Amino acid sequence: MAFTDQNKRRNTKELKEFVGYVFPAIVFITTFVSVPFLMCVYNSFRKWNGISKSTKFIGLKNYYKLFTNDPTFLHSLGFTFLYAVCVVVFINVLALFLAVLLESNIKGKGFFRAAFYIPNIISLVVIGFIWKFICIRVFDQLAVLTNDPFWQKSWLGDPRLAVVTTIFVSVWQGLGFYLIIYIAGLQSVPGDIIEAARIDGAGSVRRFFSITLPMIMASVSFCVFYSVANSMKMFELIFSLSGGGPGIATTPIALDIYNTAFNSNNFGYGSAKSVILFIIVSTISVIQVRFFKSREIEA
Amino acid sequence: MTLSQERQMPSAIFVLMLCIVLLYLLPLGIMILNSVKAYDEIMKNVLALPEHFSFKNFSIVFQDMNYPLTFVNTFVVTLIGTAGIVVFGSMAGYKMARVKTRYSRLTFIYCITPMMVPFQSFMITLVVVAKLFHLTNSIPGLGVIYWGLGVPMALFLYQGFAKTIPFELEESAVMDGCSQPRLFIQIIFPLLKSVTASVIVVNAMWIWNDFLLPLLVIGGSKERKTLQLAAYSFMGQYKSEWQNIMAAAILIIIPALVIYLIFQKNIIKGLVAGAVKG
Repeated sequence: MAFTDQNKRRNTKELKEFVGYVFPAIVFITTFVSVPFLMCVYNSFRKWNGISKSTKFIGLKNYYKLFTNDPTFLHSLGFTFLYAVCVVVFINVLALFLAVLLESNIKGKGFFRAAFYIPNIISLVVIGFIWKFICIRVFDQLAVLTNDPFWQKSWLGDPRLAVVTTIFVSVWQGLGFYLIIYIAGLQSVPGDIIEAARIDGAGSVRRFFSITLPMIMASVSFCVFYSVANSMKMFELIFSLSGGGPGIATTPIALDIYNTAFNSNNFGYGSAKSVILFIIVSTISVIQVRFFKSREIEA
Repeated sequence: MTLSQERQMPSAIFVLMLCIVLLYLLPLGIMILNSVKAYDEIMKNVLALPEHFSFKNFSIVFQDMNYPLTFVNTFVVTLIGTAGIVVFGSMAGYKMARVKTRYSRLTFIYCITPMMVPFQSFMITLVVVAKLFHLTNSIPGLGVIYWGLGVPMALFLYQGFAKTIPFELEESAVMDGCSQPRLFIQIIFPLLKSVTASVIVVNAMWIWNDFLLPLLVIGGSKERKTLQLAAYSFMGQYKSEWQNIMAAAILIIIPALVIYLIFQKNIIKGLVAGAVKG
């Protein structure tokens, strides 16, 4: 009897201590993430302008409108997917390629790695201006100097080219981050396995695809996962580079949510769009984790 | 490929990489070049070297943007945000690594799930909640909101690292009569310092450069602008006066660049730690 009593007392003491340590984290996460998120889901079934106190339950009307009567949203959905696929492919292929080059025992590896990372420390808003300046002024100048039709094109003014520009600038900006992750991955591959393959007569391309790539699958899965999640919610760079234009040509979902809620004051409808964004991002995450988990090899 | 050919490869790759890096950073070079030019020089030829090298653009921008105030605002937000994330993240992460019960595991999952939720999917109602607590239009308020957004990732890193710290140290401290707060502050927290360095650097860079949350929470207020907000309103104000915009861009980049150059090693370590564990 006395024993269980003591046990109980120890348990409550442990629980009290646990709560003491964990409480602030839970409070802030709940206040600034969980509650807003649940409110968003709740409001997505209601009509609400964000100002008035009264909101009205309208069922699935917001969702119905999204897919039947909102060309802007459907366009932003299409653009976001196109943008994400292109950015993810280019950024990962280029970063991996450069990482392999850098890991081939050249001088000044640290310098190169640091240099490629520089665009990452600049805020996306500022990156947006710099490239806007380049697309408008510098390309103009190059057109005058070279008379090449390539520079004469309106890289931010033409709807199709503006999409290409946003993808290009995003790859340029993010590349250094993925490069660092891939370099770390390559460094963890034991040299003796590669050496053995070389002695067995495997060429450098074969060595890469048959040994190195499977060994760095953890890095690949992280980078693909991270780049997908990041490009699905891209906002700031596009906001300052193209403003989502011309027209709505480069408006991603996140910008469309922002415009709906804060420019058109349609909080309920914007919330419905937010929920869709959440569903898309989390579905992709789950699929990816499943896909890559089965392909990882421990070094 | 023969052995001697393979030995020559590195220097060829070195030259190739050097060219790639120069081309890669060329846009930043163009930015610097044009920040010291006058307006008509830019109109004449953006790629030419400046005829009259001057820092006039910088002094105009410095005053217009109210740089000292904006800088202090951004600094305070970053300081409050990062400090809270480190304190609450380390406390919770450490305890969750130590207590191995069902409720501990459940709270851990609850606390790290937000890492998967895109910020844009709850930003609308986050503004509503922030208004409710009078955190909008306030610099400290903005810093506090970052606690909720940054703690999940920090907590995750701390929990992963705290698992590797030997238990005996705390046991003997408790035997000697060390109280819980003292145990954490004097013994545990110093042991976590490698994670703390990463968490500080990664979060400070993020908060310093963040634009969307300040836009939503601070918005148009003049005295409470952060550097990124000031940058954006600048763009609209100056339109085609690119020399001022480029000078502003440099003034905004410099603080982040200084932090980066000082803590370069920690940043890279922090990124890799986050990636490998994540």
